[in-house]
Amino acid sequence: MEHDTDGTLLRTARAALVTGQGALNKGWRGLFTIPFRAWLTYLIARRWLLIAAVVGAIILHLPLPDGLTPEGMIVLAMSVMATILFVTEPVPLPTVALLLIVGEVLLLGRSSSDVARSLMNDSVLFIMGSLMIAVAVVKQKLDRRLAFLIVRFTGTRTANVCMGITLVSGVLASFVGEHTVAAMMLPVGVTLIRLTSDDPAQVRRLAAVLLFSISYGASIAGVGTPSGGARNAIMIGYWHQFFYDADSPETWKYAVDYLRWMMFAYPLFLIQVPFVTAVLFFTFKPKQKNIARAVVRLRAQLADQGSMKVSDWSTILIFAVILMLWIFASDGIGLGIVAILGAAAFLVVGLVGWEEINNGVNWGVVLLYAAVISLGIQMKETGAALWIAESFLALLQPLGADHGFGLWAAVMALTTAVTNTMSNGAAVAVLGPIVLKLAVVAGEDPLVLGFLTAMSSAFAYLTVVGTPACTIVYASGYLRTTDFLKAGWKMVIVSTIITLFAAAMYWPLLL
Amino acid sequence: MDRPDEKRFRILVCIDGSDECYRGLRYAARLGGGVDADICLLFVRPVDQGLRSGGLEARVVRENMLEWGLELPGTKHLMKGQEILTELGLMSDDWAQQTVHVDKQGDPLGDNSIVYTSSSGKKVTLKLEVAPDIVGGILEEAEGGGYDLLIIGASERWQTGIIKTIWDPAVAQKVVARAHCSVIVARELEQGRGHLICTDGTENAIDIARKDAILASRCNCPISLITVVPETVPEAEGADILLRTRQAIEEEGPEVVDSLLKIGEPVEEIVRAGADYSVIVIGRSNKRRKWWLFETDIAYQVLERAENSVMIMK
Repeated sequence: MEHDTDGTLLRTARAALVTGQGALNKGWRGLFTIPFRAWLTYLIARRWLLIAAVVGAIILHLPLPDGLTPEGMIVLAMSVMATILFVTEPVPLPTVALLLIVGEVLLLGRSSSDVARSLMNDSVLFIMGSLMIAVAVVKQKLDRRLAFLIVRFTGTRTANVCMGITLVSGVLASFVGEHTVAAMMLPVGVTLIRLTSDDPAQVRRLAAVLLFSISYGASIAGVGTPSGGARNAIMIGYWHQFFYDADSPETWKYAVDYLRWMMFAYPLFLIQVPFVTAVLFFTFKPKQKNIARAVVRLRAQLADQGSMKVSDWSTILIFAVILMLWIFASDGIGLGIVAILGAAAFLVVGLVGWEEINNGVNWGVVLLYAAVISLGIQMKETGAALWIAESFLALLQPLGADHGFGLWAAVMALTTAVTNTMSNGAAVAVLGPIVLKLAVVAGEDPLVLGFLTAMSSAFAYLTVVGTPACTIVYASGYLRTTDFLKAGWKMVIVSTIITLFAAAMYWPLLL
Repeated sequence: MDRPDEKRFRILVCIDGSDECYRGLRYAARLGGGVDADICLLFVRPVDQGLRSGGLEARVVRENMLEWGLELPGTKHLMKGQEILTELGLMSDDWAQQTVHVDKQGDPLGDNSIVYTSSSGKKVTLKLEVAPDIVGGILEEAEGGGYDLLIIGASERWQTGIIKTIWDPAVAQKVVARAHCSVIVARELEQGRGHLICTDGTENAIDIARKDAILASRCNCPISLITVVPETVPEAEGADILLRTRQAIEEEGPEVVDSLLKIGEPVEEIVRAGADYSVIVIGRSNKRRKWWLFETDIAYQVLERAENSVMIMK
């Protein structure tokens, strides 16, 4: 039983503080008579919150470095504190969003209306809309038909089934987001495992290759299109916010539309598909080279689901329209509005109820992304992003990594490290402004460094919490945390090499 | 939370699907059979954290799994535990069954348990609990349920060294440090090799030895004693400690099959001798540092270094 947080200490602390209630009843003086142990326990339980506060206070009291404004220093302190809280989670993560909003008003002196306005933009609408669509799509039960499709075309060889799962998971994840696909495909993977054997020990390695085929397939494809994940919409938003000027034709390339993003990113996903299967088989070496028994039984289970229903066709139709609008109209009306329109369409047609959507979306996450994007914009406006970019570049200079290939690799390494410790959307939201300023200072194309950041934010193969797909497949109970490390480092190397190769050889053809 | 039956011995077994937890369960079944104990199988699931699933609530995934007819991991592990108890003859199909649900932490599933009760009132409970963290959930159940013994598998990431122990201890380490009842940390837990009870001749140690001996004898586990004296102390003093402890135990009825007198460093000698037994039983010292976060007593060191199961009696 792992994944413990500091709740025990908190619990003990609360209990100890309750014990000290008698002391509190004495009025404010009672605070000084609460047992030392209670205070100590409470402080240790909240250690990361305190460490974040102390680090923030230290940064704010440091002498102002050359080139950084006092406001920039405040934003820098807030960013460092937010990063510590994201990684260590001493408080529920939406609390970080609330603290950022309060901090922007109290520390930066912005008006509350300004802050409120900065919380809602197209990227946030997109995140909100795509989560609602995700719930609607999962509720339509198309997963059984997808499973039937996979086992019908892949045959019974385990390697082929895994590649089929990776491809189908990837293609879907590139359009509807990896969480949706993981939610839909997990029962398919677990059913195949169960139909092979009820003994978990017999199917441990098989379970690893099947379940990682889902999560890694979804992860490599999540960057395939803008709608594949929040990070893509966030990066598109940053490009637009930082560089686009309607009156300056040379900046129009920074208004990256759906199709242009796909041209950069989709081939990378397709190239990685066979590598996922190869890495997983090389790592886990499943005993079962052929799962004919499980495939035949699954086919039999799925064969009696009858022909496509009206609701199935309606779902496909609505999604096809959303996709067309993303490709052909998002340039004018925004990705977010299309996503919101899609969610509304599912509700209007009656394919999903509002209660289902309300219960299926974690609204705290939307708030969190909104606050982090707002902070990212403040990083740019106050000059904090520029100062960090210059400082980072100065660090890379002695290593010869302050330009070109070296800089690309450094940015990818930084993003991969950050994304493995927090959500990939949050990683891009925090790093995006810095990396884009870095590109400006280093004389690199912000599109290239922006794409490299977005792409490498998907390389969160190493930890359970790295990507939603990893978290969801881990919840099946078949995987160990160490499995992610075993296969993950190989995937990081493969994905990094392929992405760097694309940046050097393929992307210049598109720029 | 179940209302504890004060008269009946209660054992809480933490289930996480590992081989170790099921070995612990078999051991609990043996102890439970002997003392006619109530047994609770507990699986703790941390509260869902929306960001980890990308903003899609985990309940959507769970509902989809259930609609495919697949059990959730916790349910699956608990059902396996139930099968083991049935195989061992500790429970049967004719027991009364009661399902209990408690809303908790704003979680859509909350706490769910099935309580099986025999005609004699003996209970086996399968409990799927949600808590902010796993240790918190285990301790809440252990304290609220009035358990006498908690069995938990040793984690693969058992930390050694004072800094790691304080900063990032494994779940079992936290449970041992904070639990108010006796705890068995199961490692390669094999039945039938008996209990090795450690004694230093203090009133507390003798009392603990007596309590464990009663428990062990009811499930026919052989009882042995060990005491370790430093080289500077006469051997006769060690022999006297063993004699007094043995007399205290035998007054209650159980028979002590062996008494070991060792000379040297206590932790090292106990760990070495204890390797031949199912469980090393050691009491937690009453002389603990005021700063209890720094666990330094012998019991904790034995737990850290032993390669087999250790029972910390409280």
